Amino acid sequence: MAEEVHIEDFIKTEKQKAFDHDFFKGAESYEKWEDVDMDAMYDGRKTFEVKVEDIRAFSEGILDDNPLFNDEAAAKDGPFGGLIAHPIFITPIAFWLTEEGPGNWIRTPGAINPGQIIEYYEQIRPGDVIHGKTGFYDKWLKRGKRYLTYVTEYYRQDDVMVAKGWGTLILPTSTGEDTHKF
Amino acid sequence: MTSVTFDSVILDMKLPDVVRKVDQRVITQNAVASLDYNPIHVNPKWAKEVNLLGKGTTIAHGMCTFAFMTSVVTDWCYAGGGFITRLESKFIHPVRPGDTITCSGVVSEIHPRKKGQSFVVIELGAENQTGTKVAVAKARVRLPE
Repeated sequence: MAEEVHIEDFIKTEKQKAFDHDFFKGAESYEKWEDVDMDAMYDGRKTFEVKVEDIRAFSEGILDDNPLFNDEAAAKDGPFGGLIAHPIFITPIAFWLTEEGPGNWIRTPGAINPGQIIEYYEQIRPGDVIHGKTGFYDKWLKRGKRYLTYVTEYYRQDDVMVAKGWGTLILPTSTGEDTHKF
Repeated sequence: MTSVTFDSVILDMKLPDVVRKVDQRVITQNAVASLDYNPIHVNPKWAKEVNLLGKGTTIAHGMCTFAFMTSVVTDWCYAGGGFITRLESKFIHPVRPGDTITCSGVVSEIHPRKKGQSFVVIELGAENQTGTKVAVAKARVRLPE
């Protein structure tokens, strides 16, 4: 029998401790494929303050030991003058910013990731305070599956856009806890 | 390691592979790191109950595979000041606990532009231990001159 693995064994940062990891809780209230507002653009009030522990924990979680993403002292002598986040660090930012409210459909249990597009304009560094503007981009049916894309612009504290993402998931047809399947 | 510059790159140049072994510990640690706790990744009991994707096992995050592929590029050029400006990915086949993923990259396009704006495109791929392609991606990378 496979060893049981516990989420709690890996939680260490402040944000990881604060974040609700039960995606079933409140799932009935998540935005639905059928109901998304195609016109609204949401300027989120929640922010992600980037800390060294966030950057390091993410690098560890993707098995990347590049000193630029892990070692403050080594990164200071590097080309970026300090620690920077791995490009895919945009993922915990996205989930943190959409814990509640617009875009929370990304928490839908059973949703499948078909692929993503992300553009980068600036490095993300410790001390940056990121907020997002998100809204509907596209939704479609293909081979019996329901795809939904939101576009999100990520800004730092001086209102410079650091990244932009076109986030897409295939959403299941049911929202009941027992039947999140296709 | 020699810094990668725009002038040092040629078409079809192969980047060093990145190899990652995936098990449920890796998947769960990635869930915590990415704040993505979709039960398809972290709940083996639920995955079995719904017979997830016909095999009833959890699957790794697509974004984790994407991160592995991205690391092919960051390992190759970030120490010299390279900077990814665009990434796009497609996830083709589920990655499951027990898989070993090999990620590879090749320079497919070279875009000479004004100083400081030249970039290359890297075609990335990830396959599992049976040679099955699990994901593809493309990275646009600005390199120092």
